[in-house]
Amino acid sequence: MTSSTLARTSEAATEQSGQGFGASVRRTEDYRLLLGTGTFTDDLQLPRTLHAAFVRSPHAHARIIAVNAERSLALPGVVAVFTGEDLAELTAPGVMVQTGAESMVMETLPTRKVRFNGDPVACVVAVDRYVAEDAVELVEVEYEPLDPILTMESAAAPGAPLVDEDLASNLHTQQTQTFGDVTSAFAGAYRIVEARFSTQRMTHVPIEPRGVLAVWDAGRRELTFHSGQQTAHLLRTNLARRLRLEENQVRVVSPDVGGAFGQKIPLFREELTVAALAIKLRRPIKWIEDRLENLTAANHARDDSAWVRAAVDKDGRILGMKAELWADYGAYAFFTPKYPIDSIGWLLPGPYKFRDYEYSINVVITNKCPAGTLRAPMALVTWATEGIIERIARELKLDPVEVRRRNMITAQDQPYVSATGYTYEALTMWEGYEQMLGEFDLTGFRARQRAARADDRYLGVGIASVLEPTTYGSAWYKKGGRGSGHEAATIKVEPSGAVNISVGIVPTGQGYETTIAQVVAEALGSRVENVNVRLGDTSLSPYGMGTRGSRGAAAGNAVAYLAAMEARGKLLRIAAHLIGEQVDNLEIRDDQIYVLGEPEPRLPLSQVSWTAYMDPFKLPPGEQPGLEIHRTYDPPPMTFSNATHLCVVEIERRTGRVTIQDYRVIEDAGTLINPAIVDGQIRGGVAMGIGQALLEEVVYDESGNNQTATFLDYLIPTMDAVPPIRISHVQTPNPHTVRGLKGMAEGPVQGGLAAVMLAVQDALDGQGLTIERSPASPSRIRALFRTVEGDVDE
Amino acid sequence: MRRVRFELNGQTVEHEVVPRLLLSDFLRDVLGFTGTHVGCEQGACGACTILLNGEAVRSCLMFAVQVDGATIRTIEGVSPDGTSLHPIQQAFHENYGLQCGFCTPGFVMSTCALLAENPAPTESEIRSHLSGNLCRCAGYESIVQSVRQAAWELAGGNCAGKADGDDE
Amino acid sequence: MKPAAFEYHDPPTTAEACELLAQLGDEAKPLAGGQSLVPLMNMRLATPRHLIDLRNVAGLSDITISDTSVTMGSMTTQRQIELSPAIRKACPILTEATTHIAHFQIRQRGTIGGSIAHADPAAELPLITVLLDARIVARRADGTRSIPARGFFYSAFVTELDETEIVESIELPRLADGEGWAFEEFARRQGDFALVGVAATVTLTDGKYSGARLAVSGVASAPVLLPVAEHLVGERPSPALYRRVAAAVTAGLTPGGDIHATGEDRRDIAGHLTEVALAAATERALQLTDRPAGRR
Repeated sequence: MTSSTLARTSEAATEQSGQGFGASVRRTEDYRLLLGTGTFTDDLQLPRTLHAAFVRSPHAHARIIAVNAERSLALPGVVAVFTGEDLAELTAPGVMVQTGAESMVMETLPTRKVRFNGDPVACVVAVDRYVAEDAVELVEVEYEPLDPILTMESAAAPGAPLVDEDLASNLHTQQTQTFGDVTSAFAGAYRIVEARFSTQRMTHVPIEPRGVLAVWDAGRRELTFHSGQQTAHLLRTNLARRLRLEENQVRVVSPDVGGAFGQKIPLFREELTVAALAIKLRRPIKWIEDRLENLTAANHARDDSAWVRAAVDKDGRILGMKAELWADYGAYAFFTPKYPIDSIGWLLPGPYKFRDYEYSINVVITNKCPAGTLRAPMALVTWATEGIIERIARELKLDPVEVRRRNMITAQDQPYVSATGYTYEALTMWEGYEQMLGEFDLTGFRARQRAARADDRYLGVGIASVLEPTTYGSAWYKKGGRGSGHEAATIKVEPSGAVNISVGIVPTGQGYETTIAQVVAEALGSRVENVNVRLGDTSLSPYGMGTRGSRGAAAGNAVAYLAAMEARGKLLRIAAHLIGEQVDNLEIRDDQIYVLGEPEPRLPLSQVSWTAYMDPFKLPPGEQPGLEIHRTYDPPPMTFSNATHLCVVEIERRTGRVTIQDYRVIEDAGTLINPAIVDGQIRGGVAMGIGQALLEEVVYDESGNNQTATFLDYLIPTMDAVPPIRISHVQTPNPHTVRGLKGMAEGPVQGGLAAVMLAVQDALDGQGLTIERSPASPSRIRALFRTVEGDVDE
Repeated sequence: MRRVRFELNGQTVEHEVVPRLLLSDFLRDVLGFTGTHVGCEQGACGACTILLNGEAVRSCLMFAVQVDGATIRTIEGVSPDGTSLHPIQQAFHENYGLQCGFCTPGFVMSTCALLAENPAPTESEIRSHLSGNLCRCAGYESIVQSVRQAAWELAGGNCAGKADGDDE
Repeated sequence: MKPAAFEYHDPPTTAEACELLAQLGDEAKPLAGGQSLVPLMNMRLATPRHLIDLRNVAGLSDITISDTSVTMGSMTTQRQIELSPAIRKACPILTEATTHIAHFQIRQRGTIGGSIAHADPAAELPLITVLLDARIVARRADGTRSIPARGFFYSAFVTELDETEIVESIELPRLADGEGWAFEEFARRQGDFALVGVAATVTLTDGKYSGARLAVSGVASAPVLLPVAEHLVGERPSPALYRRVAAAVTAGLTPGGDIHATGEDRRDIAGHLTEVALAAATERALQLTDRPAGRR
C-alpha cells in the first residue's frame, strides 16, 4: 500500500469515536497492574521448581585455577553445581560478529578467566534461593589474580595485558569515516573551536531485575522460557542456536515486564545457563536476579567521550567538523561494540547545516561489566552538538541564538541530506527552537541571572535541540552488514466480531496494549474494549524484531494498523456483497456497517465476521473464508523525530548542588496515537537524562571493584529530584511512514542530559569554568569552583 | 519453625515459617500474594511496601516470624472487592500514574498510608513522602497528580488539597 | 540477597533479652527496627547465628518528658518521635533531625535505640545525642549503666556498648528556655545518608551570645563537637561572624572521602552548613526571646 492510499483510507477511518489516533485513551494494562494481579516473571510459580544462584568473581581480572563444589554439594537442598566446563558441553558459545573488527567469542560461563568483578563462574541449583545462596558461599574457587585494565588509556596502551586473550588488542574497534572535504574546510577556517564532552558509566536499573523461569517438557522436547524480555523472537532464535535445539522446540514468553530500557535485549549468560540446566535436570528452574547482581553484572552503558572540533567562519557559520569518539565497552560484547558510539558519530551533525565532516570511533575492552544499549545509546550526542555550538558562540563572542539561526536546518531546507547521508524531512528543529524562545523570556532571564550573580547565586539556562532517530528500517541494518527492521502483526477478527491481535513488539511499560488497540479500533471502526492485544509470546506473536530503539509507534503500531486495514478491507468487501453496495460506499463505525450518507447502519460488523467464518457460500466470488490476517511492514531506512528542551538550573556554589527550577519540552513526534502516553515517555526519559546529568554513576575502585552495588550508592532520580515538566506538542506528520507516525522515547534522555549540562555550563560561564564531564555532581561542581574561589569568595 | 497467626487482607492466616524467611518472600512465594514486588531487598526502592497495622513498611526488611498478631494489607487488599479500583487506584489509572507497573503496588500502599495520615497533602508533601519509592519509567509527575486526585476523591471531592503556595 | 539462617528469639523482658545475650555472646545480635541490620543480613554482610528481637520486650517504647529531659525507650520508633507533639515542644531539634532520616516507611520501623547502637557516622540521631550530651542507658544481665553520648561513639559502627549490652533508653536534656536551635544537612537526594549534617544551639543574652553548641556528622568516623562557644560568646550575631566562626571551626577537619564526596568537599559543605545553622539557630533564639532593639 502506498502512502497516498493510506492517507485516503485513513481519512475515512478517523471519523469515529474518540479512541483512535490522537486520543489519550486510558491504559488497558492498568487494571491488572493496579490490582496487584499482573504477572511478572517472579510471580510465576510451578511445582517442582528449583532455584539458581551464581558464584561470582570477586576479582576484576583473574585466571580460574580450580572450582571445588564439594562442600556446597554436601549441603542439604543443593541439587547440583555447574561450572563453565559443564556449560561448554551443554551449550554453544556466543559469537559477536562486527564488520571490520575481530569477532568476539563469549563462553556461556568462563572456563579460563574472569574478566570483571561480578562475572559468573558457577551456577548452584537448589530447592530454594535461600539454600542456593548458602551453597554459593561454600563453592571454593581458586583464582590467580591478574592486573586489571580499567581505563581507556591503559586498555589502548601498547603492550597492555589483554582482557580477551583471543583478540589482538583491547582496542577492539577503530574506524574513521569521512564525508565531504573536511581538510579544505579546516584549512579555510577563520577559527577552529574545540570542546570535550564525556559521560559516566551508567546502568539501566529497571525496578524489576532480570529473571527467568525455564521449563523443559521432556515428553514434547520443548523448552518454555518465561522471562521479561524486549525482543522475544530474536532471543528465541539465539536461545535455540545456543542450546542446539530447533526453533520450534523453544517458546519464549515475556510476561509483564517491570521496565527494561535496553537491558532486557540480549541473551544473558545466566539466562542461557538456567535454560540449559532446566533441560539437563528436567526440572523447572527459576533465577531471579537480585539488585546487587543487577547493578554489578547485568549490563552497563555510556562511558564514552567526544572530542569535537568545529571549523567556523567569522560569523560562526560551521564549515566542517571533526570528532574523535571513545567508548569503554567493558569485558564482553552482547552487542556489536561499535553500535552506541557510532550512533553518536553519525548523529553528531544534528540539526546543523554542514557537509564536511569526519569522525573516528575507538572502542576498548576493559575489566568492567559489559556495556550495552541503554535507552538513548547516543545520549551524549545532543550535549556534544549543542555544546560545540555554545562554545562557538562563546569564543567568537556571538549570541548563541544567532549562531543557531545561521546554522540550523529550517523547514525550508528540507528534505535535507545530512553530512552522514541521512534524509531529514518534516522536522521542525529551528521552528521548535523559535517557539521555545517565544515562550521563554530569555532577556528577562539574563537580567535575573546577572542579579543573582551579584548575590553569589549561579543561574543558568540550557536550550537543546534534539534530533532523535526512532525507527530503523532494514535498509539501515543492511548498511551495517545485517539485520532487519521489519515488524509483523497477526490480526483475527473472530466470528463474534471480537478482535485478537498480536505484534512482534514486546511491551516493557510503553502501553502498547492500549495504543495498538487504539489504532486497530480506528481501522476497524470498532472500540478499544473490543480489541484484545497479546504480546511477547513467540507461540502467539508473529516473528518481529521486538522492542528496541523507539520503534513501537512507527514500526509496531504501524504494522498493527496495516493489518487491521487489511481486515477492514475484507470486511467491507464481504459487507458490500451482502448488502449489494459498492465497497467505496461503505464505512464502519461503532461496530456497524454504514452506507455513506445514511443515518442508520445496514449491518452489524459481527454479522459480516460471522459470515466470513460460518457461511462461506455467502462470500463474494474468490474471497477466502476466515478473517485472520498476517502482515509485515518494513519502515523507511530511518525515521526521526525532534524536540526542543529548555532547562533552568541554580547552582549552590558552597555545596555544589544543582537544582532544576524550570523544565520545558516542545516535542514533534509526528502523528500521535496517545498524547498522554507520549507525555509519560517524555517525563520518564527526561528523568533518566537528569539522572545522567546530576546523579547516576557506576564507580570502580583502582582494583576494579564495583563501588556502586547498592541503591545507597547508585543514585537514580527520586520524586524530589525530578521537576514538573511543561510539555507542548507539534505534530508534523512524516510523509513516508504509516499515518505520519514518527515515534519517540530516546530523545527525552538526549535532551535531558543536554539541557541540564548546558544550563550548568551557562551558570558557570563568566567564571571561566568549563564542565566537560557528567554528572554535574556536587563534588565535580565544588572541584570547579575551588579553582577560582579566591576570586568569588567575598 | 515458628507458627505465626495474623490477619492478611481481612483473612486470618496461620502458618509455620522458618526464622530467616523475609516477609516479602512469605507473602509472595508461600501465600501467593505476588502483587507485592521485590526490587532491591535493602529497603531502598519501596516496591515491597505494605501496610503493617495500618503503617507503610518495607516487607523486605522484616521477617515473617515478626508478623505474629499483626494486621497486614497488601495491594491485593486495596480494592474493595478485588475487581473494582479503589479511589487511589482509580486516580493512578486516570492520571497515567504507572507505566511498567512494577513499582506501582509500593506507590499505592505508600499513598494509602500518606492519605490516612494527611488527607490533603501539598505537592511538596507528596514529593517528600513518596521520595522513598523509586520509579524508573514515569518521571514521577503523573504519580504526584494521581495522589492529588486520590486525596480529592477520598475527601468527597470537596477538599482539593492545599495549593503549592500553602506549603508550610 | 537472602539472609543466612539464624535462630530467632523474642524475649518478653529486658532481663531475658540480656540473659540471652550473655549466654550467646558474639553469636547473637539484638534486632530493633531492623532497618539497618536486615539489609546487612540480606547482603550477608551480617550473619548472626541468633537474632534477639526486642519487639515483644515490654516497656521499651515509652516516651517520658520531665521538666529537664526527654527519655525514650530504645524501641521508640523514629515515626513516634517525629509525630510526638510533646517531643516537638520539649526538644524540637530532635523532631527536625528525625524527619531527615531516610523515608517515612523506614522511620516507621527504625528505632532510636537501633540507630544509636548501629552508630553510622552519617546518622542523625547520634549527632543529636552528642550535641545535647544525652545519656544512653545500657543494660546487661548484671545491671545497667548510663553512658554519656559524648563518650559513646568511638568510630564508624563502633561504640562503648559491649556485645552483651542492649540500649534500654536514651535521655536527652531539653533545650533551655530561649535556646535557639538548627539542624541542617546535605544529602544527594531526599532520604539519602547525609554527606554532612550540622546541629547547633545558641543562647543570647542582651543581644550577645551567652552559649552555643555545634556538632557535625559526616566529617569523621563519629559525630564531632566543634568549639563554637569560644568564638561566639560575647559577640553580637552577624553574617560575617557566622562566616568567620564557621571557617575557623571547620578548618581543622580532615574528613575522609568516598564516591559521593571528597574530604575537601565535605569540609567545604560543613563550613557552609555551619554558617547556615548558626544563622538559623540565632534567628530562632531571637524569636524566642524579646528581640533586642536595633537588630539588623
